[in-house]
Amino acid sequence: MLIGAVIAGIFFGLYFTLVGLGLNLVFGVMRIVNLAHGDVLMLGGVAAWALFTSLGLHPMVSAILVLVVFLVAGLPLYYAVVPRLLRSRDSEMLSLILFFGLSQMIEAMTTISIGATERSLPPRLMGIGPIIIFGTRLPKAWFYSAAASAIAVLAVYFYLYRTRLGTLTRAVMVSRDEALATGIDVNKVSAVAFGISLALAGIAGVFAPFIMGSITPNMGVAINLTAFAVIVVGTLGNPLGTLLGGIIYGVSLMLMQTYLSSWANLLPNLLLIGVLLIRPEGILGRKVRRA
Amino acid sequence: MRSKLLALSMFAASGIAAVLAPAQAAPAAPSQITIGELYASSGPYASISMPVYDAFKLWVDETNAKGGVEMAAFGGKRIPIKLIAYDDQSSTATAATLYNQLITQDHVDLLIADSGSVLTSVGVPIAREHKQFLFDVSGTGAAFFSEDNPYIALMADPVSTIWPHYISDFLNDEGYKEGIRTVAILYSTNDFTGTQAAALKGFFERDKKVKVVYYQGVPTNTSNYTVLINNIAAQNPDAVLELGYVGNDIAFLRNLQDSGNQFRFVFTIYGGTEKEEIEKNVGVSAVTNTFSYVPASNYEYKPEVGMTQKEFRAAWEKKYPSGSGVAFGANAIYGYMTGLVIQRTLETTKSLDQMDIHDAVFALSGKLKTLDGTFELRKDGAQIGEVTPLGQLQPAGKNDVKLVAVYPPDLANGKAVLGK
Repeated sequence: MLIGAVIAGIFFGLYFTLVGLGLNLVFGVMRIVNLAHGDVLMLGGVAAWALFTSLGLHPMVSAILVLVVFLVAGLPLYYAVVPRLLRSRDSEMLSLILFFGLSQMIEAMTTISIGATERSLPPRLMGIGPIIIFGTRLPKAWFYSAAASAIAVLAVYFYLYRTRLGTLTRAVMVSRDEALATGIDVNKVSAVAFGISLALAGIAGVFAPFIMGSITPNMGVAINLTAFAVIVVGTLGNPLGTLLGGIIYGVSLMLMQTYLSSWANLLPNLLLIGVLLIRPEGILGRKVRRA
Repeated sequence: MRSKLLALSMFAASGIAAVLAPAQAAPAAPSQITIGELYASSGPYASISMPVYDAFKLWVDETNAKGGVEMAAFGGKRIPIKLIAYDDQSSTATAATLYNQLITQDHVDLLIADSGSVLTSVGVPIAREHKQFLFDVSGTGAAFFSEDNPYIALMADPVSTIWPHYISDFLNDEGYKEGIRTVAILYSTNDFTGTQAAALKGFFERDKKVKVVYYQGVPTNTSNYTVLINNIAAQNPDAVLELGYVGNDIAFLRNLQDSGNQFRFVFTIYGGTEKEEIEKNVGVSAVTNTFSYVPASNYEYKPEVGMTQKEFRAAWEKKYPSGSGVAFGANAIYGYMTGLVIQRTLETTKSLDQMDIHDAVFALSGKLKTLDGTFELRKDGAQIGEVTPLGQLQPAGKNDVKLVAVYPPDLANGKAVLGK
């Protein structure tokens, strides 16, 4: 049972890497906390559900559409909200309030549009039957979502370290003011990062019905809590830390479900408290701040 | 002459008194009866709360269309219903505040709890403290009921300590004959399913036929069961009982199918209770041959009061057409059935005093037959009449399943098929 829990935890954790990646990118570049991140993920799931039920689109196709649409939608949303927020005296705190409001609006509008009950996609779309790894039976959807997560992590790294815009993004991550002083179009760089963040959340949302059974308009808050645990454990602002945080979360959750199942929902809070007490900068903290 | 006049005036006075007497006996009728209710439009309990709320509104609208409820306590006058409903968003903290508000600010005449044990649990002590009778729609947690608390009655579902007994009876009886020897119980840790799980464990331990080899609770917000199912499979049980809310059952059934693990007997609460909702989310193949309770939405009881199931469903679909967001299921029937209990209570109560309401509700026990079966209360207010048969979702044509009652034999309309 131990090996099974660890293997399942790694795959499950990879999905939560995908969930936390966008949130971490926004914090790293803009130093704001997007409390609507979980709701954007939910919208990705709703989009996949709507595209399947109305047009019969396979979720993999929907994932590509969601990627493009959410990326593009992120640009005007950034210019409408973030620059003004960053000009305020306490942008981190105000971002909490602003994005909490946005989160509530998204949840309410989705509830009005599709109702409050569960929505899902047929399991057969990702293939019926398990993938067996070292005797552990895992749903095929876990494999696909882990693969999508791995691709996303690699793509984010490619973007950050192999593209010009990525280099500028890293410069903004180190110091927004210095980047501005050197003539970097900080808003352009940040808007693209914001769009990528929404796109990553949207893709995670497409896989959500297969990982969590179903999607509901109110799922955003719980997703946010888990995503925060993942990125704080890994290190705020560091995409590689998100990968580590996701796997730690996934493995810990599966071990809790195996040996102390009644207390499993305490895990995100325990991880957050533990990391904040012992290593507040996160496991990969130092490296990032000096990158 | 004087004596004649005196006699005449006495006769007239007595006549006037006789005419006025009934009017004086009946207290002044209120302009409306206020009923307070909570519902959850969002959150994990929305799928069991909204059908109850919508169905209850349907009853209110129908009743008001007739001019209201005919109340004997007010000389048979029809009095309209005013519904005051608040959205607790599936939050127990919000629900506690709103129960208080309904009682202390809105001064409602009748109080209805939100659906399910979790959101009812906070209302029980508040109602008791304020001596307000609580119409508990489907909060079946055993801890809610005690003989020293007269301010509660369970409407629609049987109390959790007796509700699951057909499951253990079946497994100990027909299951045992078919070779079922071990059972795994996985439950969500809340009043509703926790009590049922404890009751089932007790039944199995008492009867000493089927052995419990796995007994674990998980948080109610659990959305992934893959590792739990693998852990259960490692114990190799013949039967698996998963007791959770709608979201739990959806995730469990999907993960079970994805895992490829197979057990001879698999039970979920909402596979049958909210059949349409579950089918929509997990697909027909994932529920085929699983077991569940057979609620009134899938079983034809002959009502003596109110609509039949078919008539109610037609009324529901007229008011809430397909696509309006709330699926028809057992909880819709519970909401309408609560309306019928309230109707009969108001018709017969001596007054709107909460103990008179209590007496009127308990007077219906064993006598009220609705589309949900026979309404019967224990002394402490727990529902004991409407015990649901055990059913199985058996294949029906191409890509469909029907819920067949398989136990007890006197209620069965089909035979159980156990896996190999």
